Amino acid sequence: MSDEMKKKPYVVPIGPIHPALKEPVQFLFEMEGEVVKKADFAPGQTHRGIEWMGMRRNPVQIVHLTDRICGICGVTHSLSFARAVEQIVDIEVPARADYIRVIIAELERIQSHLLWAGVAAHELGFDTLFYLAWRVREDSLDVIENITGNRINYGLVQIGGVRRDITPEQHPVIHKCLDGYRDLLGKMLNLFLHDTTISIRCKDTGKLSFEEALHLCTVGPTARASGVVKDVRVDYPYAAYGDLDITPILPSAYGGEINGDVYDRIVVRLLEIEQSIGIIETCLKEMPEGGIIWEPKLPKLLAACKKAHGEAIGRHEAPRGECTHYVAMDGNEAPAMWKVKASSYSNLHSWIPMLEGEQLADVPIIVASIDPCLSCTDRVAVVRGNSSDLLTKEDLHRLSVEKTRRIQGC
Amino acid sequence: MALPMIREIFTQLFRTPATNQFPARHLPKSVTEFLKKVGSGEARMIPPVATPPAFRGKIQYDRDGCIGCKLCLKVCPAHAIEFIPETKRVRIYVASCIFCGQCNDICPKHVLTMSDEFLLATEDRFAENQIVE
Amino acid sequence: MLTVILQTVAAAVAFSVIGIVVGLFLLGIDRRISARMQARIGPILIQPFYDIRKLFSKDNIVPENAIPSIFHAAPIVALASSIIVLLYLPIGSMMPILGGYGDLILVMYLLAVPSLAMVAGGFASGSPYATVGSQREMVSMIAYELPLASAVIAIAWLLYSSGISDPFTLQAIVENPVWTLVGPIGFIGLVVLMLTLAWVTPAELSKIPFDSPEAETELAGGLLVEYSGKNLGLFTVAQGVKTLVMGGLAVAIFFPWNISPLLGLSSYAALAVDAVFFFLKVVLLMIISVTAIRTGLARFRITHVVTIFWVYLGLAGLLGLSLIILDSVVMGVL
Ligand code: SF4
Ligand code: SF4
Repeated sequence: MSDEMKKKPYVVPIGPIHPALKEPVQFLFEMEGEVVKKADFAPGQTHRGIEWMGMRRNPVQIVHLTDRICGICGVTHSLSFARAVEQIVDIEVPARADYIRVIIAELERIQSHLLWAGVAAHELGFDTLFYLAWRVREDSLDVIENITGNRINYGLVQIGGVRRDITPEQHPVIHKCLDGYRDLLGKMLNLFLHDTTISIRCKDTGKLSFEEALHLCTVGPTARASGVVKDVRVDYPYAAYGDLDITPILPSAYGGEINGDVYDRIVVRLLEIEQSIGIIETCLKEMPEGGIIWEPKLPKLLAACKKAHGEAIGRHEAPRGECTHYVAMDGNEAPAMWKVKASSYSNLHSWIPMLEGEQLADVPIIVASIDPCLSCTDRVAVVRGNSSDLLTKEDLHRLSVEKTRRIQGC
Repeated sequence: MALPMIREIFTQLFRTPATNQFPARHLPKSVTEFLKKVGSGEARMIPPVATPPAFRGKIQYDRDGCIGCKLCLKVCPAHAIEFIPETKRVRIYVASCIFCGQCNDICPKHVLTMSDEFLLATEDRFAENQIVE
Repeated sequence: MLTVILQTVAAAVAFSVIGIVVGLFLLGIDRRISARMQARIGPILIQPFYDIRKLFSKDNIVPENAIPSIFHAAPIVALASSIIVLLYLPIGSMMPILGGYGDLILVMYLLAVPSLAMVAGGFASGSPYATVGSQREMVSMIAYELPLASAVIAIAWLLYSSGISDPFTLQAIVENPVWTLVGPIGFIGLVVLMLTLAWVTPAELSKIPFDSPEAETELAGGLLVEYSGKNLGLFTVAQGVKTLVMGGLAVAIFFPWNISPLLGLSSYAALAVDAVFFFLKVVLLMIISVTAIRTGLARFRITHVVTIFWVYLGLAGLLGLSLIILDSVVMGVL
């Protein structure tokens, strides 16, 4: 390899479709040899118009639509949405329903983190670990299926509560799964964190400093791995989280310093699995008796929603970080406005500082390390004719001012 | 250099694989032929992973109990239910149904239920088993 | 003379065919065992044959900015050179067909040819992924050449110092199992060399952890990314033959014993039994040094590959070499 060839920067495109990407997004890398000099990315390759569909449906229908925003966070979106509507309609959720919501949300965190662990292993070329992680993930999916009736699209949350109770017969099933994970966790920690081939690839790779994590408003494990103490469950407790004793997990919990590298993100996610096991066990023990839904008669619930006016934001700490839903209702069946901000939306920008200066070989694992969920994130695709427009901050500001004027009629 | 996985793979090597060999150990030459043979008892199908008690599978409809109130249409997120004015009964397109079970909850007569049948893949959205009425 | 040539050619053709079939079987075994290690069932043993049949029934797609001549030549050169190395290998008690026309040094060079062909094919594909892959392949070739060369030199030196004529021919190596030529220190040296070669094998075959030139999740197949259809089929066949060659080389150097003398067999029966035994040895070695390693490790970065081969395995190779030299010096003194 002549020096000249090595030095000349060349462009390597990755995506929108590429084996390293589980969902479409486009990267452009300016390379110098094996090193990424400049990184850029373009999301918006998989916009599905879910909000558009939602604004033509009533809240009970939308709950099931929210389930399908993400294939992994089944309960995240429905919980956020339901919490927004509950605030507008002024619904008090029964305490038991709150506990069930927490249980399912934490089960979801377990399965999501295991799924991520598998993907991360695959990106490192470690398919054996990928198979192992996904195999043990099945146990949590089985329990979720047992509770909700479906593995992925749970359909458990309803406006004002949950649709199914957790019966005493289900307790042993859940406990068995959790005990299994307790035993397994030591093995998983050993396989992921003490494998030399993994640690040489992940330590000091894709670093995100504390300041960058803070400035880029990262959320969830991505933020926590860089030492930012941030967790909606703790900062703004909702559902039954207020009754529980949770501390956000930082990589230092596993000993050692906080580096904000890929390795730390593995640590945080694996330890959160353990935390979730504890939360579910507490919830099962302390779950109060009582109803599980504010209004079991759905026509009445629909009527109440139809009468409501107002706007609200529902938020939830998804496995990937904070997820928010904005809902505005104006006395119609369908909401006047519904806006989803998935957790990955806040995290995507941390890619740039993580990727620049890294080896091309580490791009897949760094990209995967924030656990991106792109179809949940893609909310806008501006296409006019054959050309797509990029709207800058100024453009967006101008457009929104114009729209407000229009609505105000001046 | 620590390689914990090496030990794991050698223990794994001597265990039975985790794969559930549904529906047969190897892909049959023709799946339709195979299913036919299973139907006539000539071949044996390795069963899928069992479904839990309250599983939400293909929808079932008790036509006689229905009163034609159209409430199910109101909550179906997928617009999978069609009302037939002549008979005052509904028709459900399984290909559109998203198995949420919301119509089950709202039906005042409880004539809609979810079965545990889930082997519904087909190329024809309007095949006989894709329409419930 | 003419009959000798004809015989050689006929044997070579027969050997090539057998080599290809056995090589593909090896790939099948590798996939199956790897699947079992991952708690999967895995494909049937003859799956590679189905794959080849499928690939050969498809058209080659040549990218617009590729250099077609090199692009098409690369897979043929890769396969041809792998087969030629095979003809230098003693199989069981059968002596190599081309044994009289070259030695271990030649084999070492020939081993580099398939990789070089892939590099050329990668550069000729005109895709940035393939270019990066080719660069990485070149780097890793240079990297693993040092430990490989030190092992080969050590063994030749051992034969030479033991007073065996033609120390560089594979025939000599097989006829004089290296373990019998050394004392205790040299024995340790040989073990070190064997382990070194065990790590060179996956690199030579571009398997995880040394598969950064192909790196599915990074480069989508790297230097093979633009290959499809028949050309990809040829590369797959070459890969099979190369697996057989690498296994066979290790068997010839370190485990040359045959089973027929034990069973008291002779003539054709002995040849057949020894060939089967040889194959079993190759399978066992492959499982340990290719299948287990590729299943139990994560992929290295190309920088790691260089460090590992130049520093750790390079040192190990030199250590093995010096131990063997030391051994003969000590033995010579005694
Ligand atoms: S189960 Fe859900 S999608 Fe299916 S028909 Fe009933 S309401 Fe519609
Ligand atoms: S809600 Fe029940 S009773 Fe009413 S139309 Fe639907 S199926 Fe019939």
